Amino acid sequence: MADQSLRILLLATGALFTGITGFIIYFVVLYRNKQLKNKRDQEQLQSAFRQELLKTQIEMQEQTLLYVSREIHDNVTQVLSFVKLSLAMAAKGAEDHKQTKINESRELVAQVITDLRDLSKSLSFEHITQLGLVKTIEIETKRINKSGIINVSLSAEGDIYPLGEQRELVLFRIFQETLNNTLKHSGAKHLKIALQYHSELFNLTLEDDGDGFSAILLDKSKGSGLKNIENRATLIGATATINSSPGKGCCVKVSLNPLEQRLYADGYHPSRFS
Amino acid sequence: MSIISISYDLLLLTVFSVGIIRYKRLTIPFKVLTWSVLPIFLLAILSGIFSLKYKNNVPIMHLECITGYIFYSLTYYYLFKSKAIKQSIIISIVIIIVFFIINAVFLQPFRKVFPSNVTTPTQVLYAVFSLLLFKEMLLYPLKINIIKQSVFWYNIGVLFYSTSLFLMFGLGNYIGDHKLSPNFVSFIGYFWYFILYVFHILIGVSLLIDNKEITATDG
Repeated sequence: MADQSLRILLLATGALFTGITGFIIYFVVLYRNKQLKNKRDQEQLQSAFRQELLKTQIEMQEQTLLYVSREIHDNVTQVLSFVKLSLAMAAKGAEDHKQTKINESRELVAQVITDLRDLSKSLSFEHITQLGLVKTIEIETKRINKSGIINVSLSAEGDIYPLGEQRELVLFRIFQETLNNTLKHSGAKHLKIALQYHSELFNLTLEDDGDGFSAILLDKSKGSGLKNIENRATLIGATATINSSPGKGCCVKVSLNPLEQRLYADGYHPSRFS
Repeated sequence: MSIISISYDLLLLTVFSVGIIRYKRLTIPFKVLTWSVLPIFLLAILSGIFSLKYKNNVPIMHLECITGYIFYSLTYYYLFKSKAIKQSIIISIVIIIVFFIINAVFLQPFRKVFPSNVTTPTQVLYAVFSLLLFKEMLLYPLKINIIKQSVFWYNIGVLFYSTSLFLMFGLGNYIGDHKLSPNFVSFIGYFWYFILYVFHILIGVSLLIDNKEITATDG
């Protein structure tokens, strides 16, 4: 009887240690698989993020080239044609008239040089990296105001801090997309842009006084520019809220927690990807 | 005091020293774990003295049981991410303390009877905490190799310790029921020390490899 109890006890001991060892081995294998799966998922997310970021970059370049081509056509070419005409007329005119025309032409050429310098700045894709989001939006605001199409006001609240190159790039693209929508479809006269920098929250708000649109239209238009805004915001861990109703304008608000990092977003500019 | 119990005390002292030397680099749960070794070490010395002087170390067993539970479950409290489990751990500590007092006064007198009524549920809880932590580890895997993770070694130690104790209870009952040779009784004693050695060596390993900088960057 005693021997049998002892045998059972020894068997139980063996079973216990075998069980624990088996469990540990099983757990280690399971954990390793989980690690590998996580690594793969993260790589996929990173790849999707890079692709989306490159798409954003291309869109921004397209937008910039469109703007440059318009500027060259509507401004530079016109002014230079006028200068050419003015100089041709000066050649035929009297001496004092000639001097006035040359002075006028010189001023116009100086203006063209300034405009071309501004254009060359907007051609450089790196300027958002160098100047930061606020300054870049400020330049864009000045440009739009100068065109006279719409009156844009910009306000920045709180201590401005960098949000990271990639996030600022995406935020700027959201800004551009919203601005385009306002210019093309809203018929607005005023656009208010507000940037709020709080310690744990960043807000970018664009509010126009245009025609607005109904919520039904908003739902239908998912898949277009508005959906793009939401998707891009999600990409950088932000949330985009679009509020509009007929006759009451439109408000796009992008909120972001600057402390929350996305594992797949490494904070570098896409042009630096190896 | 036998050589095996003295070397066990030395092991506890070494583990505590490892924790103290690396204290600044440890995460909060492993700082708690470091402090758990000190009372266990002091109680182990007292246990030896009581055994020699009074031939009875049961009061020390009572204290060891409750001290261990408070420290080890507090360590788990800091290791878990789930708020519900954290809350449950705090509640369990309160319940176990109350039950410990009731047990020591009314059920298993503090100076006479081994506190199996408290030891059994605490060991079950250790095993449950350990398994739940393994599950949570699978939900939030870190990038670093599991062998280099302090929590893995601590958790294995607790699982081994808690499950082995039931075996020890079985062996204890077997000894009680059968008149066995002194060699066999000694063997059981050595086996108990083996469990304690493994448990504290694993705690030592976890204190040796724990690094708050690695945990912060990986997590």
